[in-house]
Amino acid sequence: MQRYILKRFLLMIPTLFGVAVLVFLLLRVAPGDVVELKYAGVGAFVSKEAMDQERAQLGLDKPLWRQFMDWMWGIARFDFGTSMWTGRPITYEIAIRLQLSLQLAIMATVVAVLLSIPLGTIAALRQDTWVDYVVRVFSIAGLAMPSFWLGILMILGMLIFFRWLPPMFFTPFWIDPWANLSQLIWPALAVGYRYSAVATRMTRSAVLEVLREDYIRTARAKGLWEKLILTRHALKNAMLPVVTVIGLEFAFLIGGLVVTEQVFNLNGIGMLFVEAITRRDYTMTQALVLLVSFSFIVVNFVMDIVYAWLDPRIRYQ
Amino acid sequence: MKLRRVSVCMIALASIVITVAMAAEQPKAGGTLIFAVGETPPSFDGHRETTFAMLHPLAPHYSTLLRFDADKYPKIEGDVAESWTVSRDGLTYTFKIRKGVKFHDGSLLTARDVKATYDKIIFPPEGVASARKAYFAMVEKMEAPDESTVVFRLKWPSASFIRQVASPWNFIYKADILAKDPRWYEKNVMGTGPFTFVEYVPGSHWVGKKNPDYFVKGRPYLDGYRAIFIRDTAPRVAAVRAGQALIEFRGFNPAVRDDLVRALGDKIRVQESPWICNMTVAINNEKKPFDDVRVRKALTLAIDRWEGSKALSQISIMKPVGGLMRPGSEFATPEAELTKLAGFGKDPEAARKEARRLLKEAGVPEGFAFTLKNRNVKEPYEAVGVYVIDQWRKVGLNVTHLPQEGGPYFADLRAGNYETSIDFNCDFMDEPDYQLIKFISSDKSPINYARYKDAVLDELYEKQSRATDPKERLKHIRQTEKRVLDEQAYTFHVLWWYRIIPHWARVKGWPITPSHYLNQDLRDVWLAAE
Repeated sequence: MQRYILKRFLLMIPTLFGVAVLVFLLLRVAPGDVVELKYAGVGAFVSKEAMDQERAQLGLDKPLWRQFMDWMWGIARFDFGTSMWTGRPITYEIAIRLQLSLQLAIMATVVAVLLSIPLGTIAALRQDTWVDYVVRVFSIAGLAMPSFWLGILMILGMLIFFRWLPPMFFTPFWIDPWANLSQLIWPALAVGYRYSAVATRMTRSAVLEVLREDYIRTARAKGLWEKLILTRHALKNAMLPVVTVIGLEFAFLIGGLVVTEQVFNLNGIGMLFVEAITRRDYTMTQALVLLVSFSFIVVNFVMDIVYAWLDPRIRYQ
Repeated sequence: MKLRRVSVCMIALASIVITVAMAAEQPKAGGTLIFAVGETPPSFDGHRETTFAMLHPLAPHYSTLLRFDADKYPKIEGDVAESWTVSRDGLTYTFKIRKGVKFHDGSLLTARDVKATYDKIIFPPEGVASARKAYFAMVEKMEAPDESTVVFRLKWPSASFIRQVASPWNFIYKADILAKDPRWYEKNVMGTGPFTFVEYVPGSHWVGKKNPDYFVKGRPYLDGYRAIFIRDTAPRVAAVRAGQALIEFRGFNPAVRDDLVRALGDKIRVQESPWICNMTVAINNEKKPFDDVRVRKALTLAIDRWEGSKALSQISIMKPVGGLMRPGSEFATPEAELTKLAGFGKDPEAARKEARRLLKEAGVPEGFAFTLKNRNVKEPYEAVGVYVIDQWRKVGLNVTHLPQEGGPYFADLRAGNYETSIDFNCDFMDEPDYQLIKFISSDKSPINYARYKDAVLDELYEKQSRATDPKERLKHIRQTEKRVLDEQAYTFHVLWWYRIIPHWARVKGWPITPSHYLNQDLRDVWLAAE
């Protein structure tokens, strides 16, 4: 197992290097640069000399191979450089947003897990009864409604009926838990609902499948208590695909909540991502792509380990 | 007797009402102004940046040498300059600096700081970007003969110099800091403005608090301010509606204004003004058939701007019809004269007939197809694009609208990779040196996207810029306008922007100006009781 973990860990390096080369080249292929967008974007006259000076200051006048080598050398020293737009260290810019994105991802995952596992299990146990139909309608509605749209409805409802809005700026939980939760609970519910819809359907079908297995029939024949059969034998085995879905969704939430972040004005990684791309902030975009890729790799890695814990038959060589 | 008593009572009552009303409008100290900003600041350096997103949160920390008097725009008044004089030949400007102006670290501001600031703007050291260096080409050198005097010596008399010194971007920095690190101000704040810096959380908010040592007695009224960055329009509007932001200084469109007024009634006050921003159609003069003046003239003739103003002003921030200078400004062409220029007349049918004739004469067939590139920003860009295309269809042209993301849009404009394109221009003041620079030859102006070269226009620009007689200057401006818009029809404005600020009525002491870059130091702003 240790060898497997080490191997998987080392495999991250070529994967991330491939991602780095790809994102570096793709960004340079896209027309326009950060200086163009910064100065031309406001419609005022700025001399070519001033723009060239700015490009030189940002290192954009260097040959591509040199820019890539500088970036790689920085990464090797865990130095991601500075944002081309703000001039501040990238790690600082990302850290500010990451705490919000991580908290939101965790809260949405908690909402999703709390909803999906009980609902999916009940739906499976009461297959083709009214309970199952209600859960199916609930989950299909969650799949059909984009979370940002649900967010817009929430905001409009709060504004029209209560003349109230969630706070428009982030307060860390340890500074003011009430302000923090009153901002993040709404997007967590909006995102968590859609997320739970996927997981509910997955849980339902997985539990249904497991309940038809021979070992469940054997357990019942042995006269085991139904609750014990469900929790100890059925659910644990049914969780394999559910963990996959939850893990991948969690990784997606780190950088993928662009529109929801816009709707609730959340200063998260998704918004930073879009801003970095539209501003052609190469250094920031490169770092964010690496971060998101790293998140997916780590989540997949963790999921593989969780599989082994859930299903002792799984052994990694 | 009875009548007299009644009269006395009436007068007393009236006095009370007036006193109460006056007391109600008496500026009140205290409170925190929360306002929304639609973008986040890049760096903190006013000399380097060009976006309102830097100016709105940062201007309250700084003073400038001169400033525009927002109540009496375009009147200029001293900020850290107490007074100024101009030599007879217009080549020497002497500014007297106020005494007792302190930086937020407690040190005194002197002429040395002003000189160091303008040295950085006009003669930036190697590796330091200055966005406004080109505008100060007339400055030969600056001197600080004593602690309270700064002298600017010009190479030639300039009509715009004094206004440029009132630029809201030219924050006065501390000489000692600049001497140690000329780029220090990109990431730090140290000014003499009405508010000191408290906190900035990138992408989230910016906080300032009252400067108790501010040099204007009794100012600022506010205890502090908080700028909240809200990038998307819908949450920005929601924030104003919910009172989480009391104002947004750039502006909203008419639909938002009406919604807010409907929802909040007299809690909302609306201020409106023509805006020093415009939408332009850039025509690529290097591409056929747009290299033919008849084709270009037909394109401008086809557009009914007066009807466009009526239609677009209902759905967007486009409204005033004007030439190269903002309608309503001291340099604007009067309507009677404006309507004589191609495309600005009030008989659209006659103009279209003439446009068809010119197209035919130039050999452009009926249904001729080309592309209008645009920025993929719904409002006002796409609205204007759609209107222009509709107008061109009326003279038999078949135009495809191609909205693009910012990167490719600007790259194509710059590289001349377009046939026609929607373009725009925005400045902080009505000043021909600023608004006309777009129209000089493309090898001299990087924002002349129409890619023509015209020595006559270059000469006219120089003449107006150096004219010390306002009448003579105006004459050159008119000649420029006629040549650009009518005789050569190189490129043309469609409409000017119209600034609409619906804000909470509690926000007082903030008069609207024609630019979202001006009047942002918040020193006179106060909050009435809820």
